[in-house]
Amino acid sequence: MRERTNEQWLAELRGPNPDGALADLYDLVVRGLGAALGGYGGGVEANFGDFAQEALIKITGNLDSFRGESRFTTWAQKIAINVALTDLKRRRWRDVSLQELFARREAADRGPADAQLTPERLALQSTVLQELRRIIDEGLTDRQREAVVAVLLEGMPISEVARRMGTNQNALYKLLHDARKKLKKRMEDTGFSLQEVLAAFEEG
Amino acid sequence: MLKRSDVVKLVRVVDETREIEISCDECFERLDSYAETELSGLDARTAMPLVGDHLEKCADCRSNFEGLLIALRGT
Ligand SMILES: [Zn+2]
Repeated sequence: MRERTNEQWLAELRGPNPDGALADLYDLVVRGLGAALGGYGGGVEANFGDFAQEALIKITGNLDSFRGESRFTTWAQKIAINVALTDLKRRRWRDVSLQELFARREAADRGPADAQLTPERLALQSTVLQELRRIIDEGLTDRQREAVVAVLLEGMPISEVARRMGTNQNALYKLLHDARKKLKKRMEDTGFSLQEVLAAFEEG
Repeated sequence: MLKRSDVVKLVRVVDETREIEISCDECFERLDSYAETELSGLDARTAMPLVGDHLEKCADCRSNFEGLLIALRGT
């Protein structure tokens, strides 16, 4: 690939003959995807061409948002990786609905506490658990509670939870941040310390 | 809804919450600079602490960052 400065990339892609730059960018992006996702499995290589095409459309459509704080090619690869990972996450979580996720949690919640625990520790755990449940119930909105469970407790990607809740990743992160701040404030007001909770719940 | 096995996870996440955190869009905006800083051998986390903090908290953005680093090293 011919070396280009950021200015040269922009000038070529905006100019009357962008084909050479587009072809180089396509090759670069496909190689980058190969490096980053080579071990992903599931025949994902077959999609690199589509990912690259979609990325190129985003790149050329958003040249004005490139602020020149990195190499142009780094910026372009960032967009391509995001396109690919967003698509792969969507496929991996395709069959999971939030309702199912919550129902499965409820069903799995019937196990007894660890029989090895001393009565004192069990009592302490129950107190903490009760307090935390109250804080979550009283302090959070329904949407915040759903997001906390799906993302923070169940580990579902923010982007996937966001789609199911009719919002986007950025807005859902902010909603979760607000929820975490509220929980923190309420936990501090209750006099909970991290050390106390860890001591009550952690092994050993 | 909160299970015994959730407690440590939740309390840790809450404890690490900062008053000021950047959003995913703001993190993505700076991710290319952050990755180049990291690859140049400088401490990106010190140079851009809010991005580093977001990457620690957000698995979606962290996978973007990790993927980008590998792509940049491999091309
Ligand atoms: Zn994020």
